[in-house]
Amino acid sequence: MYKLTAFMLANFTAPVDIGTNPQSLLLFIPVVAAIAIVYKATKLPRITAGRFLKESILLFGSIVAVMVIVALVLAAVAWLITE
Amino acid sequence: MARSRLSQNPIQMVIIVALAGWLIPGCGYLLLKEISRALIIFVTIALIFGLGIYIGSIGVIDPVGANLWYVVQMMNSPLVAIIGHFTAGGGYPVFGRPNEIGQIYTSSAGLLNLLCIINSVYMAYRGKTTATEQ
Repeated sequence: MYKLTAFMLANFTAPVDIGTNPQSLLLFIPVVAAIAIVYKATKLPRITAGRFLKESILLFGSIVAVMVIVALVLAAVAWLITE
Repeated sequence: MARSRLSQNPIQMVIIVALAGWLIPGCGYLLLKEISRALIIFVTIALIFGLGIYIGSIGVIDPVGANLWYVVQMMNSPLVAIIGHFTAGGGYPVFGRPNEIGQIYTSSAGLLNLLCIINSVYMAYRGKTTATEQ
């Protein structure tokens, strides 16, 4: 038990190795999910499982879609400037 | 009985809800008997904060080198100051992407908790004014 606790705590004392590859951009997903969930938890007048899930997924999808559009526009602008 | 006594004094209730929400994320809603809301908020904020310090290590909480980030991280809970006490000496250095990602995660959790504190305070205040109008 002591070893397990020490091992778990040790995981929080050294950073994880994150490369500069395109896959590391996916790390924005947990933050967007948290924002969508907490925002909807504060805004819904009454929390029911179905409605809460539907509203959170809709907000999550909207944020991701807008971010993808912005990324595509910026990539297009960068391509136009550099070509 | 304690709650009804508190609800007779809205300022006291508002302060207690705000402090409870700061001490433990979602606890302000728990005092307002919003159990599912409190659970969702506690789990989400604790997970995103935990993920932040897992990715960047506890070194992302740096009251000396990144004091503005630290102020926002303190919105999670005053317990963050305990971690800050251990990391203030620079014993847990972290740089580059893990540092950025860790700070973004922990600070986002702090800002989300601030949103929840403000919302729970508003609910506590509105609940009292509604009761008065009735």
